[in-house]
Amino acid sequence: MRREIIALGVSHHSAPIEIREQLAILPAALDVSLRELVALPHIDEGVILSTCNRVEVTAASANGDAAVETLVGFLARAEHVDRDEILRHLTVFRGRDAIRHLFRVAASLDSMVVGEPQILGQMKEFYERAAASGSAGTILHRCFHKSFSVAKRVRTETGVASRAVSISSAAVELTEKIFDSLEDKTAMLIGAGAMSELAARHLLARGVRSLIVTNRTYDRAVDLAREFRGTPVPFAEIERYLPMADIIIGSTAADDYVLTVNMVEQLLQRRKNRSVFLIDMSVPRNFDPRINDLADVYLYDIDDLSGVAESNRDEREREAAKAEQIVVAEVEDFCRWLDGLDVVPTIVALREKAETIRRQEIAKTLASLRNLGEREQRAIEAMSTAIVNKLLHGPITQLKREASRDESLYLAAARGLFEIDGEDGE
Amino acid sequence: MSSLFLTAALALYLLTTITYGAHLISKRAQLRHVGLGLMAGAFAMHAGALAMRAGALGYESLFPFQEGLSLIACIVVGLFLAISVRTDFSVVGALVAPIAFLFSLSAFIFEAGPHGIPPELHSVWLPAHVAPAFVGYAIFTVAFCLSVTYLVQERQLKQRRKGDLFRRLPSLETLDNLNFRFVTWGFALFTIGLITGSLLAKETWGALWSWEPVQVWSLITWLLYAALVQARSVGWRGRRAALLTVFAFALLLLSFLGVNLVFPGKHGGGGS
Repeated sequence: MRREIIALGVSHHSAPIEIREQLAILPAALDVSLRELVALPHIDEGVILSTCNRVEVTAASANGDAAVETLVGFLARAEHVDRDEILRHLTVFRGRDAIRHLFRVAASLDSMVVGEPQILGQMKEFYERAAASGSAGTILHRCFHKSFSVAKRVRTETGVASRAVSISSAAVELTEKIFDSLEDKTAMLIGAGAMSELAARHLLARGVRSLIVTNRTYDRAVDLAREFRGTPVPFAEIERYLPMADIIIGSTAADDYVLTVNMVEQLLQRRKNRSVFLIDMSVPRNFDPRINDLADVYLYDIDDLSGVAESNRDEREREAAKAEQIVVAEVEDFCRWLDGLDVVPTIVALREKAETIRRQEIAKTLASLRNLGEREQRAIEAMSTAIVNKLLHGPITQLKREASRDESLYLAAARGLFEIDGEDGE
Repeated sequence: MSSLFLTAALALYLLTTITYGAHLISKRAQLRHVGLGLMAGAFAMHAGALAMRAGALGYESLFPFQEGLSLIACIVVGLFLAISVRTDFSVVGALVAPIAFLFSLSAFIFEAGPHGIPPELHSVWLPAHVAPAFVGYAIFTVAFCLSVTYLVQERQLKQRRKGDLFRRLPSLETLDNLNFRFVTWGFALFTIGLITGSLLAKETWGALWSWEPVQVWSLITWLLYAALVQARSVGWRGRRAALLTVFAFALLLLSFLGVNLVFPGKHGGGGS
């Protein structure tokens, strides 16, 4: 019986958050769910992955069609779930496609932000829970381990990860090219645009120590400062605070420059020329573009940042294409192993291997015993055949009989013990 | 045997240069580790070659100009390996490797005999002069590489260009801080070398200071590095400090090469 891998579920591609949250399986309920899953008919092995972006079940089954039905029922088993609604958003991958899907998810090629590293860690956690509860078997063990190694290959051989593709993350990426550590740095927010708030949020997440907030309307500055746990300062006193800031983000609606060359020269003097990163998030611009001609000041406006983000995106797409090729090659590799996990080819391969060894040994022996008569030669030949057949009889009968649950386990063991897959058979 | 090790070190320096070069233009992150491994191998070979030479001919045999350059190169590589443990300084490595290659090449081409140092200079002050001076030179060499890297990174940031090279570069602040630490240490050792050098001169020639070309040039270089160490407190950091470091190193190199090759004077280890 041939086993098939099935990956079925909803992800951010296929389903809105309202659907995903209905199906989500909480960590506390995971073990119970895993036990329920593998107790279902036609499901031999199962792993559940439930993150904020996807709820997916990966299963191995000897009867794919029936298993898909079962899995749909499993996902929609809770009472509050509308089965038809789920069906509309469900994606089902089978066989080769399921393996490819799993590899792509692990390599973060299917993520909302392609290349983000969290998904691999989450997958490992969920797989380990499944392995601990015994719901993952020979096939899924190998499949998940393979997906982790694919992810590693993609990470080291392509540049898919670590590219800032949004404007605010590009700003943070640049910050890290100027400053060694953000932990002793102060950022200043002049004005309160959505984009600059996002950048401030990113910077704080990366460990910026303190935030100074100012706005023409002081109350707004106070509100923002409270939100970010920053310090509000009056707009009129901005020049007093400028030298404290290592990163200054401008997003006021002013139509003349909030920061002039002269002001920056002064603040640099007071900073003893410690580098300043100026991010101008507003149109019309808040910071005089000529500021960039000063030494130790780095001024980026919104176009510069989108240029950076854009080139990162192009880069990432090129790298993603390379990553997809890696995935395809690895899927082929895995499928070869999986196909081998079939009774008939395994028995044939086992017999062939034994027969080859027998022939070689007979030839060697007979070559050194030239003065044997034909009768003796035939006797030796017959004896060798008998030994091989008797030795193989047990394993082969067992393999044929084990068409039940653990077939793949027996097959994998047989192939491993007799080294049928060569040296690389894990 | 010693020259066999030196040949191996030279070959490895060349290979390291190529690897780091490839690392900077390709996207293969693993090349960084290959480069570092090659550099460490080259360092081991180089140190082995120097140790064998010192063992066979006495440690003074490392002090003549050509051997001295090779010894300095070896210290430079050691310092680079030390700072690379925690931070990716591949771009700096791409500068260190060819410099180490060229410096060691001098020892390979013009191997000085055991008598490179005039016998009248053999004194306790000789190692006390040469050791800090050489380590100081090596530190200044690394500072130079850090500064060039700083200037490259600074230019990339100013021009808003975002190549792959950009990604490989450490942050400006990292480079600037390390540069300052190196310059400070280098300056301290250089100062010690200058003082012990004068004491050596007094013992050999009877005068602490005799306006030898080597002394004049060293003094000029010393003043420049003194200015550089001071400059930071008045705000000469970042780009200006990097430019000054590059300039000071050029002067150092000129005085070291010029004094030894053009006006050898009485200073030991002339280019024979």
